[in-house]
Amino acid sequence: MTDGGEDRVDHGSVLVVEDSPEDAEAIERALSRTHPELELEFADRGDGLVDDLLARGRLPGLILLDLNMPGLSGHAVLTAVRARPELSGVTVVVFTSSTAPAEVDACYAAGADSYVYKTVNFTLFQTVLKGAVDYWLESRSASGGPPSPM
Amino acid sequence: MARSDGGRTPADDWSARLHGLWRAALDVEAVEKMSRHIYALMLDEPGVVAVVGSRWDGGELRYVRHMTPDGGRPVLRTRRAGPGAVVAGPGRTAPKPGAGHEGDGPAVLHHDLTGPDDGFAPEHALFVEAGARHALEVRFSFGEGDGDGDWAAFSVGLERPQDAAPGLATRLTQLAEVLVASNRRVLDHRAHERQQIEDAFLAEASLQMDASLDVQETLGRIARLAVPALAEGCVVHLFQEGRLSLVASAHVAAAAQPWLVGVAHDAWLEDRIRAAADRRLGSVVSGGDLAGSPFGPRAGGPGRAVRAVSVTPLRARGKVLGTLAFVHHRDARDLPSRRLLDDLAQRAALAIDTTAAYEQRRRNAEQLQRHLLPGTLPEWPGVSLSAAYEVADDSLEVGGDFYDAVVRRDGGLALFIGDVCGRGAEAAALTGLARHTLRVLLEDGASPADALSRLNAVLVAQSTPRFVTALAAVITPESAGRTLEAASAGHPRPLVRRADGRVTEVGVSGLLLGVLGETRYEPVTVPLAAGDSLALFTDGLTEARSADGTMFEELLPQAVRDCCRGDDDAAAALIARASRFRALGDDDTAVLVAHVKGDR
Repeated sequence: MTDGGEDRVDHGSVLVVEDSPEDAEAIERALSRTHPELELEFADRGDGLVDDLLARGRLPGLILLDLNMPGLSGHAVLTAVRARPELSGVTVVVFTSSTAPAEVDACYAAGADSYVYKTVNFTLFQTVLKGAVDYWLESRSASGGPPSPM
Repeated sequence: MARSDGGRTPADDWSARLHGLWRAALDVEAVEKMSRHIYALMLDEPGVVAVVGSRWDGGELRYVRHMTPDGGRPVLRTRRAGPGAVVAGPGRTAPKPGAGHEGDGPAVLHHDLTGPDDGFAPEHALFVEAGARHALEVRFSFGEGDGDGDWAAFSVGLERPQDAAPGLATRLTQLAEVLVASNRRVLDHRAHERQQIEDAFLAEASLQMDASLDVQETLGRIARLAVPALAEGCVVHLFQEGRLSLVASAHVAAAAQPWLVGVAHDAWLEDRIRAAADRRLGSVVSGGDLAGSPFGPRAGGPGRAVRAVSVTPLRARGKVLGTLAFVHHRDARDLPSRRLLDDLAQRAALAIDTTAAYEQRRRNAEQLQRHLLPGTLPEWPGVSLSAAYEVADDSLEVGGDFYDAVVRRDGGLALFIGDVCGRGAEAAALTGLARHTLRVLLEDGASPADALSRLNAVLVAQSTPRFVTALAAVITPESAGRTLEAASAGHPRPLVRRADGRVTEVGVSGLLLGVLGETRYEPVTVPLAAGDSLALFTDGLTEARSADGTMFEELLPQAVRDCCRGDDDAAAALIARASRFRALGDDDTAVLVAHVKGDR
């Protein structure tokens, strides 16, 4: 899958796209507790994100994308990422505070790999994030991709 | 006893270090993190050349750690056991549970490493490699659960047995006690946190269940919330016409969604689901029991092994509604508790049952309401009719407004409109009675005033506690010189919009129906000409209020002027205008408009 940038994908690295500093901090706290070995990187907006990724030598294995952001929305970022075959090796997990089936369908149609509900309770959100991150880390290592650092 | 610097004895030093360890033990998030303290501490002991720790689950090695000075700088190495892990030999048994209590606490054992491995693997080889010829081992129960086979060993290797400092065995025992206590604290903390997570999950699930009154949507939301909090996949089946049908599904991987839907129809899973529906509590299938299932190791799927499948019946108020099933790719230790699954299923079942009951009741109300209103309005030469009805809210009760139009035996056109006070079954029964009584009487030729009098007598005879208002009108045929004759029983006065745009009230009044027997109603007659419109309505229209308290009644003449110009949807347009205006008032509204055809 060299055309999908698979050889450039670093499965030990996660990019979190979240505009709220409080939520970004909560995600950092959650992931450094459940997956201390992961390298975390944060972006507070979607504008310019795809160009930035395309210019990189190494791509994050996973993007955690907040759907509700000012400026370029999460939906728009998702669509832009999926429009680039060079980024097809990057897993995109979107998260939002809605469980409305229509919203989930729209994200899947736009190419999200996972749709995760952003719970109000932090400890529960940590469990939800752990579930999604565990799944993708293990899936990537099971599917013959680069071994996960776990 | 030899003294060290500052007048402190080695025993004092050890006490201080042990104290430090206890403090660390109360602080770490995972007991494994204690290793950074204890290995170096023991390697510092006189004569110790290597320190090795091993951890055992059910008699199998989970990991081994060892520390050697390695060129003066202590290095800690960890080796996790893979497939074919070292199994504890028969001579190396698990210590008795209950470590820390007198008589069955951590056990200290001596090992001579100069001979063959005496069942002291993998430590024996590691110590020999480090140059040790003698080892002291402390062995203690160290579980994550209740398993008897879960234990750990912590050992130090010495070049010569006589190198051991006095009290080394005691120190090892003390270390074991610190580790056991630290582990217990960490496990208690995790159990508490897990309980908090489960409670938070159930609270969020209840919120989701409140978000919609649509069963399918509610279940879709629950499945979405549960994935990946509880499982990687979730499928919900409900009994529909006696068969279990898939109504919602969710998988953490979008690409695995079609696979999950396919699996939900698999015969193996359907058997389990049918069996689960007959049980009171949920069940979990895992390991070898998944053989032959669509989740077995050779089965296709999202590329990840399924480690367990849980199926819980959805039961509410003595009925089995369906099942809630989860597909777990995760490790067994991360599976949700039985309590959580049963509690979630119970809440979901109650939500489904309540939603279904609501839906049934809403459908009943809708059907009844439809039967209380005319299906179609009659055709009558020279006059076009339009009618509309608006339910004020998404109420489960049938409203009491009614209207109808009927062509009389004498050729005239009778119109009537009315309102039974209140909502619900009794109001619906009275509405039906009033509508059909008026229809039959007016069709038969009774005048509006007589029809109301006779309806009043019927209602008084019923001794109903509810008031009813009604307005009846008859338009005579053109051949008889088109006029309107109307009578009212406490009902809002109708408006006539003349062809030139003037709007006037038909000054008709009378006592409410069902209050006094022998009531007579005074008719009023007004001429009608081509282009004129007559608007009949209930008080839901006039009493609609804006946020500042203004009644729509004040705007009604203008609204009638604008809307009742002969258009087919005049009645609906009037109601729409009131709806846009309305901020307060939640009464139903009925409007019936008759327009005399011809030039305006």
